[in-house]
Amino acid sequence: MKRGIILLVFPLLFSSFLLAQDKVEIFGYFESQLMGAEVKGEFLQLYSNKLRVDLKSSFSEKITFAANFDYITYHGKTQWNILDFLAPKVVSEVPQGMESFYVLPFSDRHFLDNAYIKIAFKHFDLTVGKQQISLGTGYVWNPTDVFNVKDYLDPTYEQPGHNAIRLDIPLGTSYTLTTLYSPDENWQDSAKMLQFKGRISHFDYSFIAIEKVWRFHDYTQFDMDSMNFLELPEKRQLFGVSTAGELLGLGVWAEYAYNKMASTKDFYELVLGTDYTFDFQTYVMIEYYRNTLGKTDFKEYNLNDWMRMMAMEQKAISQDQVYVFIQHPATDLLNIGISSIYSISDNSFALVPTLSYSLSDNVDIFAYFNLNFGQEGKLFAKNMGNGGMIRARIYF
Amino acid sequence: MKNIMILGLVALLTVPLSFAQELTGEDIVQKVNDLMNVQTAYGKAKMTIVTTSGQKRTFIYESWSKNKGEKNLVRYLEPRRVKDQAVLMLNNADDIWMYFPRTQRVRKLATHAKKQKMQGSDFSYEDMGSGDAFITDYTPERLKDEKIEGYDCYTVELTRKPDSDMSYSRLIMWVIKENFVPVVIDYYHEDDPSLQEKRLIQSDIRIIDDLPTAMKVVMLNKNDNTQTEMELLEVKYNIQLDDSIFTERSLKK
Repeated sequence: MKRGIILLVFPLLFSSFLLAQDKVEIFGYFESQLMGAEVKGEFLQLYSNKLRVDLKSSFSEKITFAANFDYITYHGKTQWNILDFLAPKVVSEVPQGMESFYVLPFSDRHFLDNAYIKIAFKHFDLTVGKQQISLGTGYVWNPTDVFNVKDYLDPTYEQPGHNAIRLDIPLGTSYTLTTLYSPDENWQDSAKMLQFKGRISHFDYSFIAIEKVWRFHDYTQFDMDSMNFLELPEKRQLFGVSTAGELLGLGVWAEYAYNKMASTKDFYELVLGTDYTFDFQTYVMIEYYRNTLGKTDFKEYNLNDWMRMMAMEQKAISQDQVYVFIQHPATDLLNIGISSIYSISDNSFALVPTLSYSLSDNVDIFAYFNLNFGQEGKLFAKNMGNGGMIRARIYF
Repeated sequence: MKNIMILGLVALLTVPLSFAQELTGEDIVQKVNDLMNVQTAYGKAKMTIVTTSGQKRTFIYESWSKNKGEKNLVRYLEPRRVKDQAVLMLNNADDIWMYFPRTQRVRKLATHAKKQKMQGSDFSYEDMGSGDAFITDYTPERLKDEKIEGYDCYTVELTRKPDSDMSYSRLIMWVIKENFVPVVIDYYHEDDPSLQEKRLIQSDIRIIDDLPTAMKVVMLNKNDNTQTEMELLEVKYNIQLDDSIFTERSLKK
C-alpha cells in the first residue's frame, strides 16, 4: 500500500516539476476493458481499467523528455488456471504437486512504462532511458524484434518500454545507422543491436544484427531460490533482413531472421506479407509466418511449448501460420473487419471479427470476438475458449 | 496623343483577352499546377468532417511541402487521439510512410493506400499530395467558359491517361480567369466516367506572399452524402525548408 502511494505521488511530484518548465505537455488516455471467455462451459470475465499518463517536455528544439506512467486495475476473474486450456496429454506432464503454479495472475499494477531523454545532435540522435523498440516490417509477427512479442488478437497495441541507449545516425536523407545497447547485469548479458536502414527505388530495406540473452524457462522444474520456474538463459545472435515496398500495385513486405543459439539448435523466422486497398475502400492483408522453432506435428506440442508461448517467451509453437485481415469502413465512423489466423502445421484456425467506432473526437470503442475452430491439442483448439473483448478508450 | 493613349489602353485590354482565347487546356492546367505547387510551403489547417449522421470530427494539422509538392510532410496536432501521427509523402506520393506515435512504429505504405480516406475524411491521401498529377496523369481539354461561384471561369476537362493509376477517370475543373485558382473541381468515378463522386469548392481567396490562396476548401462527397471542410489557419510560401525535414528522422519528431 505504502509503495503504491509512493508510486502515485512520484509522478505527480515529477509532473509538477516538469510543469514548472516551459512547453510541458500532459496527455494520455483512460481505457476500460471487458474480456470474457467460455471455459469448460462457464463464461468467465476479466475487467480492467488502465490510466496512461504521458508527459512530454521539450527543453529546447534539440532536447526532448518523454515518459508515461501506467496504472492498471483488474477485477473479476483475476486468476486464470492455464491448465484449463490445455489438452489432458499436456496437463499430464505437470509434475505432481505443482498444479497450483500454473496460474496466470492479473494483479493491479502501476509502473513507469517509458521515460527517456532524446537529444538531437547535428549528425545523430541519442535516446537514453526506457523506450519502445519497434523493429521489422511485419504486421503480426516481427522475426527481427527480439524485444517484443505481439498479440495476434491486437497486433497494433503499444509495446512496453525497454531500458536502452540508442544512437540513430542519418547518412544522407535515405540511410540510417542505428546502434542500441540495452544494459543487463554485465556487458556479456546485455543486448546489443546494429541496424542499417536504407531505400532503393520504392523499397525500404534494413539489415540487422542483435545479440541478446534469451531467458527461457523450464516449466516442468521449479527453482526454490527465485521462487519461479527454472530459468534457462541462453545467448542468441540474430542476423536479419527486412524490406517493404510495392510490387504490381500491391503493398509487399518481408522479414527474415536467422537465430544462432549458444547451446540449443539454431532456427530461423520468416514473414512474407502483402496488402491492398480496393476502390470501394476495403482493405485486405495477408501475412505468412514461418518459425522453425515451431513444430509440424501438434502431437509433439509439450507443456514447455505452451507455457513459453503463453508467457510470450517464444512467438509460435506451430511452424507455419497465415494471417488474413479484411477491413471495411461501414460508415464514416464505424470500421468493421475480420481476421483469421490459420495454423498450417496443425490445420486449426481462429476467426476474429472486429469493429471500431469513433464515438467522438477523442473516444474510441474497439471490440472483437475470438472463435477457435481446432480440435483438442491443436494451436487454435476449441477448448482454448471462445470469447471476446470490448474496450472504450478516452484520450485526454 | 489622347488617341494613342486610348489605343494603348485598348491594346492593354485586348492583350489578356486574346491571350485568354488562345489558352489551351494544357496552358490552363499548367498555370493551375504552377499556382498550386509552389517551391516550398508551410500550412496549418483545420479539417472538419461532417458525417452522414451530422456529427462533426475536427482535426488540426501542420504540413510542409517542397519541390512543388514532390515532398510532403503532414503532422497532426489535434485531437489527442491522433496527436503526433504523421505522414511523409515523397516522389509525388508514390512513396508514403506513416508514423504511429503510440507504438513509435513507421509503416511504409504502398500507393494503393493513397485511395484510403485521410482520417476518415472525404479527402484521400491522393487528393492531398499528388504533386503535378494534373499534368502527368491526365489529358486536358478546354470546354466552354462558364460562370461558377460568382467567378468567370475557364472550364477544363481532364481525362485520365491510360497508363495512370489515379483514382478518378476524369475531372472537370473550373478555373478563375483572373488568378487561375481552380474554384471548383468535380471528381468522377474510377470506372464510370459519368458518375460524379466528389465536388471540391474553394473560397475565401486571399493574396498570401503574392499568391492567391483559397483559405477555405470544402469537399462534398456525393456518394456518401458527407462533407469535409478545410480551413487554412496559417500559410507561408517559398520559405527555407531543408531536405532533412522530409525524412524518417523528422517523421518521428
